[in-house]
Amino acid sequence: MTETQPPTHEVGAQDDIELRLGANLVHLPVIRSVAASIAMRADFDLDAIADLRLAVDEACSTLITRAEPGSTMVCRFTIDDAELRFSGAVVSSAGEAPSTASFGWRVLTTLADSASSWIEPGAHNGQRNWVHIELAKRKPAFT
Amino acid sequence: MTESTTHGPRNSSDDYDHLVPLFEEFVGLAEDDPRRAELRDELVTGHLPLAEHIAQRFSGRGVAKEDLEQVARVGLINAVDRFDPGRGTDFLSFAVPTVMGEVRRHFRDTGWIIRVPRRLKELHLSINNASTQLSQHLGRAPTPSEIAEHLGLSPEEVYEGLEAGNAYHSMSLDEVLSGDTENLALGDTLGEDDAALEGVENHETLQPLVRELPERERKILALRFVHNMTQSQIAERIGISQMHVSRLLARTLAKLRDGLAEERPDQES
Repeated sequence: MTETQPPTHEVGAQDDIELRLGANLVHLPVIRSVAASIAMRADFDLDAIADLRLAVDEACSTLITRAEPGSTMVCRFTIDDAELRFSGAVVSSAGEAPSTASFGWRVLTTLADSASSWIEPGAHNGQRNWVHIELAKRKPAFT
Repeated sequence: MTESTTHGPRNSSDDYDHLVPLFEEFVGLAEDDPRRAELRDELVTGHLPLAEHIAQRFSGRGVAKEDLEQVARVGLINAVDRFDPGRGTDFLSFAVPTVMGEVRRHFRDTGWIIRVPRRLKELHLSINNASTQLSQHLGRAPTPSEIAEHLGLSPEEVYEGLEAGNAYHSMSLDEVLSGDTENLALGDTLGEDDAALEGVENHETLQPLVRELPERERKILALRFVHNMTQSQIAERIGISQMHVSRLLARTLAKLRDGLAEERPDQES
């Protein structure tokens, strides 16, 4: 078992979508396309789709720039009637969660309805941690 | 038209000041005067950095840099030939829009750089139009199903059209076509929006990056992240489509992120 293996959560609902890819900025277009595609098919409005795309982009680049070189990033999209949730995690030697006072975080919290980040000590190697970012975009309610 | 506005980029007038008297002489000469050709060469050569600078602004959008420079030079030559110092404007104020116009025309003529089937382009355009109409009608951005209903299309077709828009993301014809000549004027609301960013920890690094953004991009950034307007509201305010706002925002954020990333090493020390 190597420490670059992403954390495995319990298998979620049938509609959850999980992506595992190299923690590399070249993969950003794929992740944001998936994000946009899910939101589009869930019939979010175009503003919300565009915001989610940007938010996921921001979250993933924050994660990727903190990831151990050559490691894997895991992204998960969960959708229910009320909202679309994205969570991403990378292995990192960083000791702290991404700052919530940064410009990037400000961007994230403006685009998403909620966002949080935290650090989880790695199970296999005391030096490495999991950095998590989670965000949610609520499905706008029209009557 | 105010005469006092800066000619945008730093290169501004001082670099070209010595050329100003040449224009006076140039326009005073007869068409067939050999001195005229000499002066024309000198004026064009002297202003080449301006053409290069403009070409650079449009680079990274799918057109080869050499082609852009070529086109910008043609624009510059036209500007030299058409400029009339008697009008009271200085050459730079005249040349910048002329050269940019030439570059834009080039983009317009070469069209979408990534080959997207014509059907998809048309689909994308009609979705874009429908989205603008529906936004005005609904007072919010429409959903794909509302667009489908409005256009009499299936949701799948709308998805396809929306995705085609993303494919054309990187070279964004529309951003070249819609006027950004005003980018060269200095923003007036800058101070206020700057202040709003002060609470951000990396704001010393951020501020110069934001200032370097073209006027319109900076405005969109402020409207979204300082004034918290939706993309559709911004689109209406600026007079471009929501999808166009979305593309500009994506690019702006990526640019800022790159700029901030360069600073990261000393943040960690």
